[in-house]
Amino acid sequence: MFRYLLRRLYLFLATSLVMVGVLFYTTGLFPVERSFALTGIHAPTANQLVQIEQDYKLNDNQAWQFFAYLQQRLSGNLGVSVTSNQSVAEELSAVLPASFELAIMAAIIAIGLGVPLGVLASQSQHKLTQNTIMAITLTGYSVPVFWLGLYLSLWFGVDLGWLPISGQLNLLYEIKPITGFMLIDILLSESEYSMSAFKDALLHIVLPATTLAVLPFTVVVRSTRSAMMNVMNQTFIRAAEARGMHTSTIILRHALPNALIPVLKHLGLMLGSFASYAIVVEMIFSWPGVGSWLVSGIYQRDYTVIQGGILAVALLIIFLSILIEVLHTVFNPLSRKDLYAAS
Amino acid sequence: MSWLLVACGPQRLPSGLVYCSEGNPESFNPQLVTSGTTIDATSHQIYSRLIDYDTQSGKLVPALATHWSMSEDGLSYRFVLRENVKFQYSSRFTPSRTFNADDVLFSFNRIIDPQHPYHWVSRTGYPFFQSIGFAKQVKEIKKINDHEVIFYLARQDASFLSNLATDFAVILSAEYAQQQLALGHPENVDHFAIGTGPFTLVQYAKNEYIRYRRNPDFWGEPAKIDMLVFDITPKSTVRLAKLIAGDCSVSALPKAGELPVIKQHHDLIIESQPGLNVAFWAFNTQKPPLDDVRVRRALAYAVDKQNILRAVYQNTAIEATGVLPPASWAYDNNKGLNDYNPQKARDLLKEVGIKNLSIDIWAMPVARAYNPNALKTAELIQSDLANIGVKVNIVSYDWSVFSQRLSRDEYDSVLIGWNADNSDPDNFFTPLLSCSAMQSNNNRSRWCNRQFDAILDRAREVSTQAERKAIYQEAEAFLADQVPMVSLAHAKRVALTRSNVQNMQLTPFGGISFAHTSQAPLEAH
Amino acid sequence: MPPVKIYQEDQIASPMMRVWQNFSANPFALAGLWTIAFLLLLTLFGPMIAPFPPEAQDPRALLLPPSWDPSGTVAHFLGTDDLGRDIFSRLLHDAHLTFGMALLIVITALVTGFIIGSLSGMMRGLKSSILGHLLDALLSIPSLLMAILVVAVMGPGLENVFWAVGIALTPQFVRSIHQSVHEELQKEYVTAARLDGANSLQIFWYVIMPNVWEVVIIQTTLAISAAILDIAALGFLSLGAQAPSPEWGAMVAQGIDNLLTAPWTVTIPGLAILFSVLAINLVGDGLRSALAPIRN
Repeated sequence: MFRYLLRRLYLFLATSLVMVGVLFYTTGLFPVERSFALTGIHAPTANQLVQIEQDYKLNDNQAWQFFAYLQQRLSGNLGVSVTSNQSVAEELSAVLPASFELAIMAAIIAIGLGVPLGVLASQSQHKLTQNTIMAITLTGYSVPVFWLGLYLSLWFGVDLGWLPISGQLNLLYEIKPITGFMLIDILLSESEYSMSAFKDALLHIVLPATTLAVLPFTVVVRSTRSAMMNVMNQTFIRAAEARGMHTSTIILRHALPNALIPVLKHLGLMLGSFASYAIVVEMIFSWPGVGSWLVSGIYQRDYTVIQGGILAVALLIIFLSILIEVLHTVFNPLSRKDLYAAS
Repeated sequence: MSWLLVACGPQRLPSGLVYCSEGNPESFNPQLVTSGTTIDATSHQIYSRLIDYDTQSGKLVPALATHWSMSEDGLSYRFVLRENVKFQYSSRFTPSRTFNADDVLFSFNRIIDPQHPYHWVSRTGYPFFQSIGFAKQVKEIKKINDHEVIFYLARQDASFLSNLATDFAVILSAEYAQQQLALGHPENVDHFAIGTGPFTLVQYAKNEYIRYRRNPDFWGEPAKIDMLVFDITPKSTVRLAKLIAGDCSVSALPKAGELPVIKQHHDLIIESQPGLNVAFWAFNTQKPPLDDVRVRRALAYAVDKQNILRAVYQNTAIEATGVLPPASWAYDNNKGLNDYNPQKARDLLKEVGIKNLSIDIWAMPVARAYNPNALKTAELIQSDLANIGVKVNIVSYDWSVFSQRLSRDEYDSVLIGWNADNSDPDNFFTPLLSCSAMQSNNNRSRWCNRQFDAILDRAREVSTQAERKAIYQEAEAFLADQVPMVSLAHAKRVALTRSNVQNMQLTPFGGISFAHTSQAPLEAH
Repeated sequence: MPPVKIYQEDQIASPMMRVWQNFSANPFALAGLWTIAFLLLLTLFGPMIAPFPPEAQDPRALLLPPSWDPSGTVAHFLGTDDLGRDIFSRLLHDAHLTFGMALLIVITALVTGFIIGSLSGMMRGLKSSILGHLLDALLSIPSLLMAILVVAVMGPGLENVFWAVGIALTPQFVRSIHQSVHEELQKEYVTAARLDGANSLQIFWYVIMPNVWEVVIIQTTLAISAAILDIAALGFLSLGAQAPSPEWGAMVAQGIDNLLTAPWTVTIPGLAILFSVLAINLVGDGLRSALAPIRN
């Protein structure tokens, strides 16, 4: 097990290194001055220019430049944003928790609704139920997420007026950012409005989280269904049935834990599309997370923001997919044996 | 579990007003920009000026200056300054003294004196002041005592006082500036701004919001709202949706097509005022073939303005026949100049011998009072010009990138406009089309004509309105002949408010002000 | 009427025929296939059928609702947008932008991925491992992020969408082909063929390829639907097709301005995207279940 973990760690480091390399290479391709692309300082004074050349070894060859770049980025220097003159690292640390909040909420909705529905789909004898559920998942899988988001905001926000359609919280509430997670910060704050603010924040997160949850929901339903169908055919389940256990106990205690393992794997494979959808959802609902920050960065041609954002998101995805793989192996030792030819 | 029950109770909101604004401010110092978004966010909120313009009476009223007088030869102006005016304070700055003449000197010397340590702190310069040649106009500002200053001018200027009443001529804190310069961060003065206005800047979150708190020490009547928040929402549909949902109480710049939707909601009010503005299509007269006046005239004949009024403004604007809008006292109806005549356009182009002309139109991506949708306008013009055989390529970027690239003169033509800053008609000509405006980038036509400048100078030196009006009509005729730009429309200034907002004063020109606005309590959602 | 059988032999269908029979037994999958064929026709002939050119503005017909609404007209079958452009014509003109571009990207990615994947699958050792890491790194950049990077370097535009989505999709092909080839190489019949004296190329072509193409087909359908959604999303964010292009995602973005007064300008292009992707996913699903009994 230990060697396996070590190999995964090595994989993480190697992939991240290549990622930084790719970013470094594209930084050279941006249609602006190299020093501007690296630091975000628009018209550096002579002193600043000397400092920049030193930091990024601009006068040395590519290999040294890459190491200098790596060093700068690892030490937390992501440059300065051109549009706000604030450090990119600071801005990033302010927007990341908001994206996490959205993603976690979406995951909760997707798994919370998806697993029961998947179990239902696998257990149900009626063709109609099966087909309906498959139809729902297929549509959910095919609908363009931006269109869905627009329509949900139109129906629930404007026409019915039940839910707010933009932002994280009504701006009149002033909540001090302690952890960065709005819901937690509200509970921690001492403002007299914290209860109203909490309710308001919950209302604000419903629409974006639901829109984002659609894709993982369909994945969860489908893979739960196929995993459950596989598991329920296994002999130990038949044995349990023969012993006279209730179906629900069988499902909850024996089948589901085993079925969830491939579900986890499928979720891991879906991370890339999930991140893409998250960016679009954040844009539509003006959710102040990494996605909308990054897209505003590209509109405003803010190169340091773009680098910082892509680095953060890509590293997160690499980390999470390796984490999920490790978890998957913990629960399913068979996959450790490289029977599946992962190089 | 009890907090769940509490959470189900009625929702309480802190007292305050949310304004849905259309974009990020470029800076927090209005001296440095001319963009309406920045002016709206800063000028009447954070700062005060020496004198203000009262739109109801049409006269100049005291602000930070309580009395003023002009010398007999018209070459010097003396101001008596208000006493006991406190500057705002923030985590970075606590004022140790009240407002005095040093602050006036700092605020204006920064603009006119290239040796001043703060002159080059701005990346964008002082576009409005450069465009009116302020540095050449004002020879010197002298401090008589702590509460009296005299401005010495190089020439008589009937528009001088009106220019001091514009949103750009704000008063900054000299003490704060010195402190920040000593700390090595002079740019903080423009970013973490301190002024003497009714609201203090609390926080700015880029692309999201600007938060202000009421300034309890304001020298005038204190603001009636405790907290003011600008909710930065570039898409007008989203602004409207937020207004309907109650997330905003006031919303800027609706698209004309949304007005019917608003009329269906009875708790929304449309405030509109005839605007002192003009939307125009400016040609870069330094780029061939647009340097040939015949080509420009041809392009002017080809544009169907009624079409634009219908599609883009949905009849909330009137066709522009010149630069001055009807709301200006110097306006006269110039119908007949440059009407829609595509045949004439084709003939002119044939006369010049140009075939297969292809030009760029740069269209602003943001909504403005004078043009809610420049991109659509560009598409309409594209189709109009296709009729006379000219191919158009539409160029647009995010606003910050757009204004940067615009200042590099790479464009053939640009769809933009101008909101007046004061009621003086000179404000429509000098900052836009004079030779001194060439340096400030407001002269989008890159057009410098000495004869035209002479007309403008004459208009400033004369003092009666009737005489000035005649001279401005001469200027309009000159422009109609030389066509450095095609004026498209004069739009109404529109803002949307919820019915519980009172006293939202819309002025025909200048930035928005919340100093007198109040709000009846909101009902729970 | 089935052909008259004189002998009592059963016709054993070839694997491909069997797949087809399984596939066509599923009505939904067949429906999907018809829709795709229809879309392909539109891609090729759409611009010729469209009643109006996509940029034709009719200033007297602004924001007309679709023809089934009382104020709509038949001439503008699906209504007009706020510049008076006919939505139906714009949809038809764009089929080749969204759908055609998606096909082009996927085919290119397929070919590139195939070449790289097979080469690397047949390779072993350090080079293969480094390539694997490079692929993993590229795989972990979501397509939207890749598009942002490409746009940052090259500027927005539909051509750049080609590169962005292409670079984002190719690693997936490479990885799945690499994995299947690798997997196949472990099988005994490959060793048998090698012992028979076949060289690498022959093994590849005759032994490995036929077992790998199923993976390829499934991956292709997944990729086409992903490509369409990505192109539309990029058009929506104005990072891909720019206004006034009639690309479906860009049409949705242009329609947002009128969402409250004229929702059909948003609904209709969105439905177009939905149906195309749905069709492809139906076909993909159908293929997967048709191939499943054989694979297992």
